Amino acid sequence: MAQNHSVWTSIRFWRQSAAWVTGFAVVLLILLTFDTMGQITMGTDADLQKGITKRVPAPTVINYHIGYKFSEKRGHEVPVIGKKEPFFGKEWSPKEAAALLHKGKLTEQAKNCMDCHTLLGNGAYYAPDLTKAWIDPKWKSMMAMTGKKTREEAMAEFLQHPERYPTHARRMPNLKITPDEAKALVAFLKHMSSIDTNGFPRGFSKGVKEFEAGGTYAH
Amino acid sequence: MLTSIKNHNLQYETQKLGMMYFRVAIILFGAQLLMGLIAAIQFMYPSFLYGIFDFSVARMVHINALVVWMLYAMIGSVYYMIPDETGLEAVGIKLGKLAFWVLTLAITIVVLVFIFIQIGPGDDSTIWLINEGREYLEAPRWADYGIVVVVLIFYYNVFFTFLKGRRTGVMTVMVANLLALAGLYLAGMFFTDNISVDQYWWWWVIHLWVEATWEVFVGTLAAYALIKIIGAKREIVEMWLWIEVLMLFGSGILGLGHHYFWIGTPEYWWEIGALFSALEPVPLVAMFVHVLYDWGKEQGAHGEKPAIKNGPAMAWIVTNAFGNFLGAGIWGFFHTLPQVNIYTHGTQFTAAHGHLAFFGAYATILIGMMYLGIQGAYGIDRMKATFKSKMAIFLITFGVLGMAVALTIAGYEQVLVERAELGGGWDAFFTAQNLVWMKQAMGWRTVMGVVTFIGFIYLVWDLLTIGKEESENNQ
Amino acid sequence: MIEAFTDVNHSFWGMLNQGPLTLTLFLHTVIILPMIWLYFKEKKRLQKGE
Repeated sequence: MAQNHSVWTSIRFWRQSAAWVTGFAVVLLILLTFDTMGQITMGTDADLQKGITKRVPAPTVINYHIGYKFSEKRGHEVPVIGKKEPFFGKEWSPKEAAALLHKGKLTEQAKNCMDCHTLLGNGAYYAPDLTKAWIDPKWKSMMAMTGKKTREEAMAEFLQHPERYPTHARRMPNLKITPDEAKALVAFLKHMSSIDTNGFPRGFSKGVKEFEAGGTYAH
Repeated sequence: MLTSIKNHNLQYETQKLGMMYFRVAIILFGAQLLMGLIAAIQFMYPSFLYGIFDFSVARMVHINALVVWMLYAMIGSVYYMIPDETGLEAVGIKLGKLAFWVLTLAITIVVLVFIFIQIGPGDDSTIWLINEGREYLEAPRWADYGIVVVVLIFYYNVFFTFLKGRRTGVMTVMVANLLALAGLYLAGMFFTDNISVDQYWWWWVIHLWVEATWEVFVGTLAAYALIKIIGAKREIVEMWLWIEVLMLFGSGILGLGHHYFWIGTPEYWWEIGALFSALEPVPLVAMFVHVLYDWGKEQGAHGEKPAIKNGPAMAWIVTNAFGNFLGAGIWGFFHTLPQVNIYTHGTQFTAAHGHLAFFGAYATILIGMMYLGIQGAYGIDRMKATFKSKMAIFLITFGVLGMAVALTIAGYEQVLVERAELGGGWDAFFTAQNLVWMKQAMGWRTVMGVVTFIGFIYLVWDLLTIGKEESENNQ
Repeated sequence: MIEAFTDVNHSFWGMLNQGPLTLTLFLHTVIILPMIWLYFKEKKRLQKGE
């Protein structure tokens, strides 16, 4: 190595640089993780009552109307938490709501939803994305199909017996979801739709008007 | 059948243990392809096995067999290279062998439960015993702990053999990187009600594996293999390896940000994810240049006589250099910027990238390592590619590339119609799925999947026979 | 500070973002700069000869 005077071919230089860059990137990632964790921890019921916006609201968000509107300030759509509305005919206390969401998340994992659907855009691509499933206009026609009066009841009925309400050749299978599990799943989906996803999915279900007007893809 | 591969010429028990891992890996590779074919057929004919073996089950076994066969082949590769690099038998070889059988038994139980029980009630028992329901990390919690124990035994073998023996640069990178790779698995072993927090840590495992530590692992394997196959100079190879580590970790660690655009995490991830991940292809170009440069250089140095000691392994490693750049680099960059990703996130575009990247970056080099193992097992001085080796590499590469192109077309169609035009949602999703372009693309994907599977049959046939044939030819 | 904050919560990292790419370019610079120091340190060492 006596004639090697170029730093560019020095193993030591590259080893030191690799150690520095890796180490520092890890430190940055850890700092960023602390900041992000602070921002995506679930809010509290008090936040909801005071109208404080949280990226991930408290489980009691199921007691409120949830919309999805374009925000001038943010430059994309954001979830809008509106007036109170009953969920399965009642208002849920913070404790009840938390227990329901817990069961919903467990059921989502136990039934392996993620290997057909996407949640927050992650999963498999065999069935629709569930990020904003709660506010999907499709539930209106599903209310008619199932003969249920509210969106949550129609969703719970569909989840328990998806094979009875086919909308396309590709059908959801019966996953032996019990009435309690179905209720919890709907709560999980409603909660997920209230998460601020920085505008994903963009222009959610904007094509529905076109369907209703008999546009190109109406069927 | 796989016992027909003989180990007579391997001096070290550690290398024989590596060969055992390779045998299981190739079986799981086959399982992965079969499950993929079932899922592909279900895309075309949704009533196929409906209610018996649903898409979610086929897909779950498809991706888990993928991850597990790769981990097996990776562990096998490390055991195979330990004696070569350190000059020693692994310190805890008996424990290592026990761990192999424990892991294989555990994996078998997990797969059987996936296939026959599939799902469970919505409570903790399912998460612990049947299925964790988080893509790629579906293995139930009991298996998670089992995997941790087995990996600790594996790492004990790697680390203490390294300390006792020769400490090469290649092995230094391997030891440090494996610690990160194994440790990251812990980030995926907890339950939370908060889906954003869930996916935040879930990506620590998935991304920091496949876009950071696994890539460095591949760089390390390529370094080892180039020294072994074409006698590349160690100083040059090790210098390149450190450059690759620098660039892979420099871009890959914070490149994690491109998974944090839309899962509830703050907007600053847009910027961090965009530029760091946009630079992720750079090291892949460097690896490509490095492999080709060394190849060309060593070829020329020996004049007429080709210097390649293992034809099929070298072919797979060159395919790796190209496939890694194309599948992980180009196909990844296609949709990594948030401006594009808001439309492509969660579409067939991701599936296209996933297929080409896992194959190009990982499957290729791990198959190359299997050929190196065969060469050592039969003590062949110079192993040439047979007709079967050539059919295998051609059909598998062509098949996977074809699937990726078909899925890319499907992805384009889905992005433009479902997302851009109709804005997503139930009706938008099915409108795009039912368009004739999507159906054609899914048809071609299945055809190319069959081509890949035929290539796989040639591969297994070749691995079973090439050792015997070539050792007879060399005599 | 200078740019109006648009994200849900104020944060240090969000503050560094003062226009397109400023946050990420800042982070890249902080990561790369010390390599210049490593370069000259190594150059000196090589010139001394070993």
